[in-house]
Amino acid sequence: MSRIPSFLAGAVLACGALALPAAAQDAPTGDVANGKKIYLADGCFMCHGRVGQGGAYNGPAPVLAKTEMPFEGFKGQLRQPVQDMPAYSEAVMSDQQVADIYAFLQSLPGRTDPKTIPLLNN
Amino acid sequence: MSKRRQSVDASRRNFLKGATLAGAATLTAPAVTQAQVAAPRANLKALPPGPRQIAVETTPPTKDPVNQSSSGGDFMVDVMKTLDIEYLAMNCASSFRGLHEAVLNHGNNVKPEIITCPHEEIAVHMGQGYAKMNEGKPLAMICHGVVGLQHATMAMYNAWCDRVPVICMGGNIMEANKRAPGAEWVHSGVDINAITRDFTKWDDQPTSLQHFAESMVRAYKIATTPPMGPVMMALDAELQENPIADGETLRIPKLAKVVPPQGDAAALTEAAKLLVAAENPVIVCDRVARTHAGMGRLVELAEALQCPVIDVWGRMNFPSRHPLNQTFRRGPLLGQADVILAIEVNDLWGVLNNFSDRIVRTSRPAIKPGTKTITLGVRDLYLKGNYQDFGRYQDADLAIAGDGEASLPALTEAVKRLVDDGRRSAYEQRGKKLAVAHQATVDRAKSDATLGWGSSPITTARMCAEVYAQIKDEDWSLVGNTIRNSWPHRLWKFEKPYSWNGVSGGAGVGYNAPSSLGAALANKKHGRLTVTFNGDGDLMFVPSTLWTAAHHRIPILYIVQNNRAYHQEYMYLQAMAARHGRGIENTAIGTTITDPNVDYATVARGFGVHGEGPITDPNDLGPALKRAIAAVKSGQPALVDVVSEQR
Repeated sequence: MSRIPSFLAGAVLACGALALPAAAQDAPTGDVANGKKIYLADGCFMCHGRVGQGGAYNGPAPVLAKTEMPFEGFKGQLRQPVQDMPAYSEAVMSDQQVADIYAFLQSLPGRTDPKTIPLLNN
Repeated sequence: MSKRRQSVDASRRNFLKGATLAGAATLTAPAVTQAQVAAPRANLKALPPGPRQIAVETTPPTKDPVNQSSSGGDFMVDVMKTLDIEYLAMNCASSFRGLHEAVLNHGNNVKPEIITCPHEEIAVHMGQGYAKMNEGKPLAMICHGVVGLQHATMAMYNAWCDRVPVICMGGNIMEANKRAPGAEWVHSGVDINAITRDFTKWDDQPTSLQHFAESMVRAYKIATTPPMGPVMMALDAELQENPIADGETLRIPKLAKVVPPQGDAAALTEAAKLLVAAENPVIVCDRVARTHAGMGRLVELAEALQCPVIDVWGRMNFPSRHPLNQTFRRGPLLGQADVILAIEVNDLWGVLNNFSDRIVRTSRPAIKPGTKTITLGVRDLYLKGNYQDFGRYQDADLAIAGDGEASLPALTEAVKRLVDDGRRSAYEQRGKKLAVAHQATVDRAKSDATLGWGSSPITTARMCAEVYAQIKDEDWSLVGNTIRNSWPHRLWKFEKPYSWNGVSGGAGVGYNAPSSLGAALANKKHGRLTVTFNGDGDLMFVPSTLWTAAHHRIPILYIVQNNRAYHQEYMYLQAMAARHGRGIENTAIGTTITDPNVDYATVARGFGVHGEGPITDPNDLGPALKRAIAAVKSGQPALVDVVSEQR
């Protein structure tokens, strides 16, 4: 059944993405509602979670909620991904749709302080 | 299973003849008795007896014996008692009715005690989970000839890949002239063991009871000697059922516990030299801890070197919160390692290389050129050629054939002898840095877990945190997990040898529910709280496992991670569609478990298991878990259906 290669293969990508400077303000204007719709319909959530919390495909799929990856880098990863992420060509997903998804990801609540959640302090 | 048809064979079907005679006796019972049984009614007329009935009433009884005072099955039970086999998991079938009856009435259903399984795959997988939790001491399972064995095969393959002993048996009718027409022919084989020979360690088909005794002891010994694995015995129905002809000559051989093979002393010393001299050594472990001693031995080695440990989770190898546990820093640590010690690692190439699942499949090493690799284990001591569970060949600089757990004390002693004060000081500094890095991974996990904390479907992080909150003060044992759910190992404190029970081995879906139950069976006598995360897709293969749990009062908490999909395949299909750029919205077809959504709590209740859910609101999860755990602590199985995020 499932093919399960190295489970940490995506760790480098995850760390790399987080190390990039925040540049969300440079992104084109996106439609949050449409971005959410595409994010769910086109299956981004399958690896990255419905609220961008991250997940796993062949390796860990990075957290995308409030991603610090600049828009151009984000789009580049969609068009010509590193690691095993599927590519999304312009025929499948337009630049505007990518911008909508990016806007949706920036609108997500993101992290909270784990100290405020008793269950995470066992 | 087959329904036996009457046979006219003179030597075999004595009980059927007995039944015929009993029927005849009823027909010729005294008239008074007949009158009591059936008072004539005015409007009914008895038909005159036909030729067959007349023949039955007038033919004198044959001289065939209708009773017997012993059977081969009795002796087989005695052999199993001698081997201290606690359970016999099975789905009843005629080809081993002789042994089945003997277990009940000769053996009093104790050692072995029958565990009724609605599917043979459940029986074998229970054996896999049981043996791992029971420090390598196996249970036995028996299945019907041919068709039952065909059901059992995938589970046997998982046990083979996982190097776990299970004593598998199958009924067969070897002599053609003893088979009744119909089912007994289609359920018999010249060599039924051939079905499973590619993934069993040994097999036999005994032709006498003495042969059985010797082969059974041999099978047990082979199965439990590292590298462990399932074995297969075909049991002739005649041998099980017929009276013991030569009881005074039968002898049950003595089982000598085999001392596992230990690595060569000189080679272990050489390995110790490399490790002690290394600047950045890394230990990678997979199926190291065979017994409860294993984890402590690995901790001792790692602490002697202050060396990071990367756990592949094949067994409960290393405490999750030990500062040297660097499992979640695998990439960077392997990238800078100068010496790697791989102990009982199944797929070392997969660990030491990054593989790309793209149109053109490529790979690149995860380690730098010149890194010395030492392997220690028994994996290579018993391989077969057809199924490719051995993985791609990985170079090694020093390959030591020896059981990892058995070899660790000698290796650790060799390391300790070589560590001087200068090294010790350097190691302390290394250990401190690793402790800081370890804590950072824990902090990072907690931060990651906050993402989507209140959302629905419930995140897997929230699900795991909620479960841990309820069990952390209990003597818990997590015996199964869903695919790629790393949250327990990220958030929980695994610190006891039974805190974890490894994975399937062969990645055959349908493993988790029954193997977890087998582990729960092993845990029951210790009073541990057994918990398992079960994927919905996995549970759909053998949901009747829940009936076995209820029937045998095996306490276990099933948490169903219900993402309503065969999710790994869902993602693969999306990747395939994305490659073609021809639409990715159709990938739910054939990969999801919706329309209708399955209500696993109701399914559980239908099988007699306490059911909670489906839980969609994360705030409802804690109370549901409390109720379920209360049921488990009262001795029942329970299931909580958690409608969850995909991963």
